[in-house]
Amino acid sequence: MNVLKVSRWTIAAFVLPCLLLYVGLVFAPIIVSFYNATLNWNGIGVAKHVGLDNFHRMFTNDSVFWPSVRRTFMLAGFSMLVQLPLALFVAILISRFVRRPNFLVSSYFMPVILSVAVIGQLWKTIYNPASQGGMINQILIKLGLGSWTHAWLSEPKVAIYAIIVIGLWQYLGYHILIQFTGIQNIPADIYEAAKIDGAEGFKADRYITLPMIVPIFKISVVLSFIGSLQSFDLIMVTTAGGPAHATDVLASHMYNISILSQKYGYGSAIACFLVVVCLAATVVINLLFNRVEKRYD
Amino acid sequence: MQWSNYSNALAGGRYWHYLLNSVIVTSVTMVCVILLASLAAFAITRFRWKYGHIVMLIFLMGLMIPLQSTLLPLMLIFKNIHVLNTRWAMILPYIAFQIPIAVFIMSGFLRTIPHEIEESAIMDGANVFRIFRSIILPVSVPPIMTVCILTFINVWNEYILAATFISKEALKTLPFGVYSFVSQYSVNYGAIGAFLVLGALPVILVYFLLAEKITKGMVAGAVKG
Repeated sequence: MNVLKVSRWTIAAFVLPCLLLYVGLVFAPIIVSFYNATLNWNGIGVAKHVGLDNFHRMFTNDSVFWPSVRRTFMLAGFSMLVQLPLALFVAILISRFVRRPNFLVSSYFMPVILSVAVIGQLWKTIYNPASQGGMINQILIKLGLGSWTHAWLSEPKVAIYAIIVIGLWQYLGYHILIQFTGIQNIPADIYEAAKIDGAEGFKADRYITLPMIVPIFKISVVLSFIGSLQSFDLIMVTTAGGPAHATDVLASHMYNISILSQKYGYGSAIACFLVVVCLAATVVINLLFNRVEKRYD
Repeated sequence: MQWSNYSNALAGGRYWHYLLNSVIVTSVTMVCVILLASLAAFAITRFRWKYGHIVMLIFLMGLMIPLQSTLLPLMLIFKNIHVLNTRWAMILPYIAFQIPIAVFIMSGFLRTIPHEIEESAIMDGANVFRIFRSIILPVSVPPIMTVCILTFINVWNEYILAATFISKEALKTLPFGVYSFVSQYSVNYGAIGAFLVLGALPVILVYFLLAEKITKGMVAGAVKG
């Protein structure tokens, strides 16, 4: 039981500065967004109420919207199906075979702490055409695979995959670190007991590491999913949604519509959709994992 | 092997300028986040009042809200109150978006401190502010470090909000500065490379010094978030 009985004014002095700033700059703008989404407004002229027209248009009459939703989920899918299993595999290998793992894990983690602005520019030069010093294309030509070269970031079909690769590369270390920490926290005597029962190596991983890592793996999944839904700074610094909307995701579409084209009402509608998807995704992932965790209890 | 690209990048003076801006924005944000969040977490976890849980819940909801969905309304609000294109246009939203995770980490730690500490402090005649300043803050160094690290990484690297709310050259932070510098010199690869390395250097140096603390802090932030 809390022992500090204090006056209302004291409570206000402790809580209000923080609460007001946070509500004013995070909550209020979102509520304003939900209202703005019912307007037809370019920020200068008179705003006109159009009800749910913006949402109607978004779902039925916007050739960029659904492809960008699809790409958003594609980012999340690649992250969960490629990045997370790879990270788990590397984490298991490191914790089993590496004597002093901290240096290795810290090195994998390095890209996470770099700004997306720097990472984007770095990869842009890597993806450049060979004549402009693009590393990948030069290597392909040297290997005699000249026909495989692409203008990676400016061909509509490959650009989104090129961006996905950057995202997977940047955050791989984050998930390795999280899962490595999770594996380290599994008590060693469980493995010893399993060894006596004849389970060693990958068999021990299958029956001990995997079930015991589920709660930590969930954190990775939530982070990667939410991160993918929001991932657009990487897209803004590499292609800004181009060529011809071929790399637009939900957030970049919203940004282009609202801030660059100044369709404030319509942009707000997309922003609202993004908030709802984020909240829904968190709830769904938690529900799914609660089931998985129960099975292993 | 020549260092002229580096000396050129440094000589223009732009680099130091961006660096200074980043230092100002990040440090002001850090101080405000720690102060505000620890006050609020203290009140939520230690005061006897009815609405602590609700306030905590409001803070927790913030963990799931994407920053970019507030860009547009914030831009309109800031334009109206003439904050756009000042440092506050970055600092205020940065503080607000770091508050949920900071409150969460701080209150998670404060819950573990035994109540006897306050009881004896009250016996000795200390008031609430005194308890906060002389007891709670000094013992909360570990979670404060975690909050510092998370805030530093997130705010120092932030690009999109800075690029949306700031257009004055004099106010650009390092990531934004690097981005606009590199976009201008799209053919001079030596200069670009030098500027990219210099742009990444401060955070890499900090990482070399504090790698263990940073990785621990990021995991703590992820696991508790």
